[in-house]
Amino acid sequence: MSQQNRSTTNLLRGTLAIGAVGVVAAFLKAGPERFWANWLLWFVLLFTVGVGSLFIVALEHLVNAKWSVPIRRIPERIATLLIPVVPIGLLAIGALPVLFPGTRPEALHNKILAGKAFWLSLPFVSVRTVIVLALLILGLVVLVGGSLKQDQTKDPAFNIRARKFAPAFMAIFALAITLVAFDWISGLTPEWYSDIFGVYLFAGAFLGGLAATSLAVLHLKDQDRLEGVRKDHLYNLGGFLFAFTVFWSYIGFAQYMLMWYANLPDEVIYFQTRLTGGWHVVTVMLAFLHFVMPFFALVTRDAKGDGSRLRRVAYLMLAAHILDIYWLIFPILPGGPHFSWPEASFALLFLSGAILWVRGALQKGEDMPVGDPFLKEGLEFRL
Amino acid sequence: MSSGKSFAVLGLFDTPDALMGAIPQVGAKKLGALEAYTPYPLHGIDDALERRRSPLGGMVLVMGILGAITAFGFEYWISAIDYPIVTGGKAPSSWEAFVPIMFEVTVLFATFTAGLGMLLLLNKLPFFGHPVLSSDAIKAITRDRFALAIESEGEGFDTEAAKAALLAAGATQIEVLPEPDRGPFLTSDYILRVAGGIFAACVVAGLAMYGAVKLFPVLPPMSHMEDQPRLNAQKADPFFKDGFGMRMPVAGTVARGYLPLGVASQDEAASLVNPLPSSPQVLAAGKKIFHNRCELCHGALGNGVPTLTAAYGAKPANLQAQQFRDYPDGKIFWVITMGKNAMPSHAADLTETQRWEVVHYVRALQRAQNATDEDVKEAGAR
Repeated sequence: MSQQNRSTTNLLRGTLAIGAVGVVAAFLKAGPERFWANWLLWFVLLFTVGVGSLFIVALEHLVNAKWSVPIRRIPERIATLLIPVVPIGLLAIGALPVLFPGTRPEALHNKILAGKAFWLSLPFVSVRTVIVLALLILGLVVLVGGSLKQDQTKDPAFNIRARKFAPAFMAIFALAITLVAFDWISGLTPEWYSDIFGVYLFAGAFLGGLAATSLAVLHLKDQDRLEGVRKDHLYNLGGFLFAFTVFWSYIGFAQYMLMWYANLPDEVIYFQTRLTGGWHVVTVMLAFLHFVMPFFALVTRDAKGDGSRLRRVAYLMLAAHILDIYWLIFPILPGGPHFSWPEASFALLFLSGAILWVRGALQKGEDMPVGDPFLKEGLEFRL
Repeated sequence: MSSGKSFAVLGLFDTPDALMGAIPQVGAKKLGALEAYTPYPLHGIDDALERRRSPLGGMVLVMGILGAITAFGFEYWISAIDYPIVTGGKAPSSWEAFVPIMFEVTVLFATFTAGLGMLLLLNKLPFFGHPVLSSDAIKAITRDRFALAIESEGEGFDTEAAKAALLAAGATQIEVLPEPDRGPFLTSDYILRVAGGIFAACVVAGLAMYGAVKLFPVLPPMSHMEDQPRLNAQKADPFFKDGFGMRMPVAGTVARGYLPLGVASQDEAASLVNPLPSSPQVLAAGKKIFHNRCELCHGALGNGVPTLTAAYGAKPANLQAQQFRDYPDGKIFWVITMGKNAMPSHAADLTETQRWEVVHYVRALQRAQNATDEDVKEAGAR
């Protein structure tokens, strides 16, 4: 590890410590609602980036993609974020009695909530979360652990095993992301419901995973650790990012337009809070940062393969993804958008922690899956 | 060779690598435009041939944006400017409702530009029979050989030098393609034949339609739209034994919202009391209904001087007359409900509440037209 790397690591440890102090202070001073809303934001964010990366790995196995074999190790390593997400998610159960109306005893007197009382109750939500996290760790062990082991064994049987496991993982993934979306975000406003909500979170998660993957690929390319990964590979990552900005906005807008048209009080209240006062500004910003800017930044053919452009768009996309989760969770706190020292401390703690974790993960195993028989074919990939 | 000039010199290579290797060698001699014909796409050949980037992407982007703007403009003009209609309680200029159409038109413009732009502008269709298609080498090219062509770019094309260059680069076979015989495309004869053909097709199709409709009128399962298997109001129908299409209500029932008045004549109706307060809202509602339904005959002031006098034989009542000013509310209500003389019943069009609203408004009209000093003082005090 070079001198510069070491000083960056020390810097990140410093910001991590400052963030941790701020988070403890937030727990003591800022009130439980605000603390747990922040906690939830970072739980969902790290979960979506981790699970989005794991989805990329599984998708590549599922469709037997060859082009992505040289860069497959990167989403595999980012997917290990799911390991710290397990304790973060288990601690988030502390948020249930504070923020989730369905877990409170008053819920039984609410006509709508009484019917969903068991589903929304604290024990059942916790059990579901544990099951979801356990299933994802299983996926991580099979797909990522197996791939790391293949570096030594060079056993092509892993590819066949992964290809067989990938369809099952897709079912696990769909269940996991839908349950997290419904339980941990939609559950904040249990009278409101949207069938497409899981897909909306999936679109954001895939974009988050792609953006993180693109950044890590470019980072390793700068260090000359990905010999043979070329513009053509970057182009595919850029193309995916481009396509899924459209998918995200399509899902988001379709959900909004149907509710706007029907104008039913239960449904439209969700957008009413987000389209009035300070939240209106955030909503417009989200549409710009999450769709308009990345769309036009990547629309041309040259832009998709351009490393420096891709890096900027990936940073933008990650920021927009954070804003998206913020926009989903924070309107439950009264009094407009909150952003102050508690939010900044949480961002410092979890961002530094996640970057440190991923930097550590980027040292694991070989930089490319050298045991994969399709590696050479992937390196020869041309558009 | 028809004109002695050649369109291109074609050199065949056995492997893609041989072709790719030959491209820079031949290209360096700058004898003419280079073009490659291969049985399947070769990676990197675009760069090797130094093809300029296709302008199609830019065209599609511009036309796509234009499509979005066009759709938005059309919808905005129709919905918000030309004929604003409030639908579902939404503002006529709601952009949300425009988005799906904007999306569709964007895709429409973009795909049409991509398809037609590629075919007509860039591939220069209609252009039948590219010379390479008539070459001897075409079979080999579509099977397992890779051809490199040096195409003539004008007068100075040196066929022999091109042949030599291709052979030097390792071509296994050489073919010289003659300049195709390309007459002018839109001759008067051609236009006449196309127009005549279209005309003949129209005549045939028209006659066929006419004959079909004339000779074979509507046969089942087709039918005219007016013949529908259902009961029609006020029409006989063989479905029921008594032959009536319309049915009587079940004995002892009333339709929802139509409770019987409980009075049998206009004089008895005098006992009915207006259940509504004379509030500004009620008067505004009554004014609207009066304006829509009563004013045409009774006049805007209720004085029986309407717009329809000349066209309509019967003389409408002057509601300002002493007789009607002395009417109790219930008697006016009765007339609106049952009709009187030439005036039809409005019971089917107006709910009971609406009729009482009109009564209030008629009272207000009568008071306004016969105002006393006290009324004026009271109005001034407000």
